[in-house]
Amino acid sequence: MNTVAQKNELIFNYSSGKLGEAKSMFVSMYLFLNSVAAKKASIFDNILAENLVELDEIAPKKINYKDCIAAGSKDNLEYKINENYTPLSSFIGSIDKLQWKSIYKGFKEFILPLNDNDTIKLIKMDPGTSVPLHSHNGKEYILVIDGSFCDEYGEYKKGDMQINDQNIKHHPSASDSNGCVCLSITENDVVFFGKFASILNLFTFIKSFFK
Amino acid sequence: MENEKIIDLVTKISKNRDERAFSELFDFLAPKINAYYLKNNLSFEQSEELTQEVLSTIWAKSNLFDPERSKFITWAYTIARNKKIDLYRKTKSKKVEDEDIRHFLYENNKINDYEIELSIDKIKQELDENQQKLLKMSFFEQKSHKKIAEELEIPLGTVKSRIRSTLNKMQKFLS
Repeated sequence: MNTVAQKNELIFNYSSGKLGEAKSMFVSMYLFLNSVAAKKASIFDNILAENLVELDEIAPKKINYKDCIAAGSKDNLEYKINENYTPLSSFIGSIDKLQWKSIYKGFKEFILPLNDNDTIKLIKMDPGTSVPLHSHNGKEYILVIDGSFCDEYGEYKKGDMQINDQNIKHHPSASDSNGCVCLSITENDVVFFGKFASILNLFTFIKSFFK
Repeated sequence: MENEKIIDLVTKISKNRDERAFSELFDFLAPKINAYYLKNNLSFEQSEELTQEVLSTIWAKSNLFDPERSKFITWAYTIARNKKIDLYRKTKSKKVEDEDIRHFLYENNKINDYEIELSIDKIKQELDENQQKLLKMSFFEQKSHKKIAEELEIPLGTVKSRIRSTLNKMQKFLS
């Protein structure tokens, strides 16, 4: 499986404006933390923007520059970006002050209140915590925001992204020193394997009724 | 319009709040942004409404435009694109400022439109006319694969495989 191609395609779709709210926010955060990804998005933005230059123009009939000035003068003029800005902070505030929900010992989550088909959530794992072996019915996108985790495929640090699908079975565990905070998107529920699999899968099944 | 002329206008707008300069910029940009939305299948009303939002954002945030790092047309495109995402946004309760991510990246030296020109030139050399057309239809005009197949009178499977091979070709020049 070519995950580099999958990651690039996600970035292209972001540049194009094709993604839904959850994935758009996820990719914004990816570009914020990963300058290689930001550069790729910028290359594609510039290529797409050049189409504007050659486009056959169609002048708007009902709007004029004075209306635009009036509408744009409502905000304060010296527009500034907050110095603690992150794409997430403008939506949920500081990560330290979130109301986390404990899922099991050492594993907490916070589901972002977005109205979208994809579920986007923050996951917080205490140092050394691991997740039982599982795979995914749909795709899962994981972005490390703080700390690191590792699984069968390698170590993932701040700004690294992993895309998993039904072909991937993995057993991630958070780093022993710092633990791990990740942003995750799931298109569908995960499928667990091993000792507690049936009970975890049953739990996921029951949970689906309350979505 | 020449890039230098545009930069001169935007500088007058941000430094002097020059309405005449803005009116010139409006005449240059509004018909392009409006045409972009119409190409993206938005209605006449929606297109004009969003065009007004883009131009008023440019008036309000002109001080954030940095001509040393950013090309004006790319800045304008990303604002227009983000307004289109906003249109389909279902979560209306909280305000998400999508424009800010690009300003953050420019301000913190993570991206510079002029430093990547070489990669862009190489990509354009590498892609033939048909591939560039497919990219434009799929990613700029956001036409579905099915619609592209109809317009170009080629099978759907061919559209999909050609887009995939175009993206694969581009990837070599991304790093």
